[in-house]
Amino acid sequence: MKFSIPRASFFEGLQKVQNVASNKGSLMILQNALLHAEEGRLCITTTDLDISERCYVECEIDNPGSTTLPVRRLAGIIRELDEGRILFETDDEDVTVLQGGSSFFKIIGLSTRDFPPVPIAEGKFSYSIDQGVFREMLRKTCYAVSQDETRRVLNGVLMAFKDGKLTMVATDGRRLSLVEQEIEFPAEAEIEMILPVKAVSELMRVLGSEGDLKIYSQKNQAIFEFGDIMISSKLIDGVYPNYRQVIPASSEERVVVGRSALLSALRRVSVVTTDKSNSTKLTFSANQLVINSNTPDVGEGRDTVPIKYAGKEISIVFNPEYLMDPLKNIDDDEVFIELNDGHSPALIKCSVPFIYVLMPLRIN
Amino acid sequence: MLLRMLRDGHIRLLSAHVANKIAAGEVVERPASVVKELVENAIDAGAGRVDIAVTAGGRKLIAVSDDGNGMGRDDALMSIERQATSKLRDVDDIERIDTLGFRGEALPSIASVSRFTLKTRRPQDESGTEIAVLGGRLQEAREAGVPPGTTVEVRDLFFNVPARRKFLRAYQTEQAHIRAVFTLQALAHPEVGLSLTADGRELYRLPQGASLEERVRDVFGEEFRVGLRPVGKRRGDIAVTGFAGLPNVTRNARGEQYVFVNRRPATAPVIAYALREAYPPLDRERRPVVLLFIDLPPDQVDVNVHPAKREVRFRQVAEVREAIIAAIGEAIGYRREAADSATTGGRLGDASLPAAAGTPPHTPAVPAVPAVTGPGGSTHAVFPYPGAENLPEAATPVPAPISPDPPTGRGLSLLPVPESGAPWRWCRLLGQAAGRYLLLETDDGYVTVDPRAARERVLYERLMEADAQGATAAQRLLLPETVRLAPADAARLRNHLKIVQKMGFAVEEFGGDHFIVEALPDLLGQVPCRALLENIAHDLESAGARRGSERWREEIVAKAACRAAAGAAEKLTQEQAEQLVSALALTRMPYTCPRGRPTMIFTSYRELERKFGR
Repeated sequence: MKFSIPRASFFEGLQKVQNVASNKGSLMILQNALLHAEEGRLCITTTDLDISERCYVECEIDNPGSTTLPVRRLAGIIRELDEGRILFETDDEDVTVLQGGSSFFKIIGLSTRDFPPVPIAEGKFSYSIDQGVFREMLRKTCYAVSQDETRRVLNGVLMAFKDGKLTMVATDGRRLSLVEQEIEFPAEAEIEMILPVKAVSELMRVLGSEGDLKIYSQKNQAIFEFGDIMISSKLIDGVYPNYRQVIPASSEERVVVGRSALLSALRRVSVVTTDKSNSTKLTFSANQLVINSNTPDVGEGRDTVPIKYAGKEISIVFNPEYLMDPLKNIDDDEVFIELNDGHSPALIKCSVPFIYVLMPLRIN
Repeated sequence: MLLRMLRDGHIRLLSAHVANKIAAGEVVERPASVVKELVENAIDAGAGRVDIAVTAGGRKLIAVSDDGNGMGRDDALMSIERQATSKLRDVDDIERIDTLGFRGEALPSIASVSRFTLKTRRPQDESGTEIAVLGGRLQEAREAGVPPGTTVEVRDLFFNVPARRKFLRAYQTEQAHIRAVFTLQALAHPEVGLSLTADGRELYRLPQGASLEERVRDVFGEEFRVGLRPVGKRRGDIAVTGFAGLPNVTRNARGEQYVFVNRRPATAPVIAYALREAYPPLDRERRPVVLLFIDLPPDQVDVNVHPAKREVRFRQVAEVREAIIAAIGEAIGYRREAADSATTGGRLGDASLPAAAGTPPHTPAVPAVPAVTGPGGSTHAVFPYPGAENLPEAATPVPAPISPDPPTGRGLSLLPVPESGAPWRWCRLLGQAAGRYLLLETDDGYVTVDPRAARERVLYERLMEADAQGATAAQRLLLPETVRLAPADAARLRNHLKIVQKMGFAVEEFGGDHFIVEALPDLLGQVPCRALLENIAHDLESAGARRGSERWREEIVAKAACRAAAGAAEKLTQEQAEQLVSALALTRMPYTCPRGRPTMIFTSYRELERKFGR
């Protein structure tokens, strides 16, 4: 294999995919990137067997072919090279020679035979959505994913393509975040997939703010194709719990509150919460919300936030972290809090189709 | 058979010779017992130096020579008679034995099963005496020129008792027993110079007039003392001194528990019990390292329980128990009630039990045992384990290392409360090894922390404290979770459901062996419900076996719950790791998880230097 490639775009491509390659571990080949030059493009692939990532960079090919190289070492070299074109040549023994400016490198690679097969972007059904919109949906939901490894299905974000909508849900059994987006797909393509949290963070890292994203569904696998990148991920096997039943059908009271005012008040008050006593009391009364944290041996914090509210007085206690999470991840100026009483679940909504269900704390 | 025995004329008085052989069976079990008896005799004779030489694991030769009082010719001959002793005069003396031996059995017993030579001279006499005994029969007693003191040579032990000889183990095994005996004697009598030579090779040469601390160093080496805390406490008549290992320095079995009662290596059920109670619950097989001297008036202890005097009895069992628990508790900063109940505030100060009337509350060292403290009276200078004793100095905090922080770690000062028993004055998180263990740098060494055990400890104390304050916040679940338990587990859980509910677990019966979980203590974070209930039910089964505080049910529930909760993701972010380390340092017993596994392992820089040969 022999080709020449501009340093900047080569480095950019490596940076996109190197995150997936493992740092350590028993399989040497997983620390390597598969480089494949063909038809005027260099294709760089990394995988950790669960997630694979591939990107394409344009190059001038003298001799097509492929090899694998330790991706972090390669990226380290390319980063330090002078601007300009890099000459890349690999012999039959997978020894690669890199030349750029005054520099010369010889790197020993591994045979491509050992590199695990990576799925190709195709599937019975595919779904189209804007990259930025998809990334926002992930951002609004993924913080609620469960850390409890004994409940595998909750360790990912549910993507349900149903009724002409993509619904994303995450929950850890204490709170639930849900966001919806209308997209077009044929009725027979309805499907549910549970995307592991690792793939979610990789997608959020690499997805752009605009441009088309194509999602392919395969057996136990989802493939995301956007721009010159493809990410495939195994899915979590199992049936996601029926999340509809935990969303209260109706609420008696509705509060309108400024998002950033509420968030900063919670941040201030939670200074006096500790890991020992992580609870914050919210008292809603006419046009005023009083937030109160009281930790024995530490102290007390209180803050008042103006709200639009005319209902009955309600006191409710939450874990402040759970309350702040959605507020940090939505952008609306105003949010709506829907309540029934002090011991029923509360709802947080905003202008986009977003719902956050939060269970209160019960104080003995 | 029985009939034949009952016929007249068959019961005869045993000859002294046979009686000695029988006694030898009790006293002289193996070469190491000979060493023990002879060394004790030497020490009772006021020796300043005792030299021991053995060959072939003591089977060929055991020679013990001392520079003690020696004996005159008559005494020397008397000494090999059965029940002849200089140590007791009348029956009252047996009530207040302050010598190591007293039964008058040792020499005749040994002499009856070996080729035995005794050479002795009193310092004031011009010449000494040499006696030779073969299998219990006196062969020769003559005047001889010998140095002052006594030398006993025991050759061909058990040469006339083939049955016993057969049971002797390999030379190495017997030699290991001899070394163990030697170690005990060396620790019990640091003021006596001791040497041990085996097959011509000198194994130990311990100087005369050493302090206990020097003796410990000479016997075990420098590193043994890391992780040991000095013990020094007197309650009434009972003084407990020595060293106690921190709860994270444990060994399998009792290999490194050295207990001396009035300087005699001894065991007693109450001592084992007190040691168990003095420490936080340790993992089943683990035993703390202790080196304890219990000194009390001779009439308070009965050493005449066992011919080899291994076991003793105390007159005031409860007092001895409490003295040991209090002394160790003070040394390691732990007291069962204080650690488990939620009384906030003092820990070390409160940890000592009320001192007996007339005794100052903190008597640091007891004269009965040579200087526990170092030359300058400073204990922590010698025991470099960072800890509570160091804290007073911490008023002027040790400056952070001068070198810039490595990229992986941020400076992290962990010294919130001067009174607290934080295991380090400051520490810095270096990173995480094997995706799991946290590495910390401290003043005197590095610490490896098991985050899971640490989290268990932190959660456990928080849960117990929240429960004691009646302030458990229960996070409700979006969807109540149902768990079906095995019938036996379900029955146990049902019996204790009230306690479980009080602690913030909203668990209800749900027909059959099903339970429904509606809320969980908020501070546990995300905990798998099934594992949680199974753990609780399972642990309640073994409850009660261990007599504990009145909140034992709560303790069990909390332990079981924390075990389930701590299993969550082990990979920690920098921030999470720092929070965990800080929280651990603030716990009452940071060294073990509630189940008794260590949370941290300390390695001193000195040990590293030694290993690197610097």
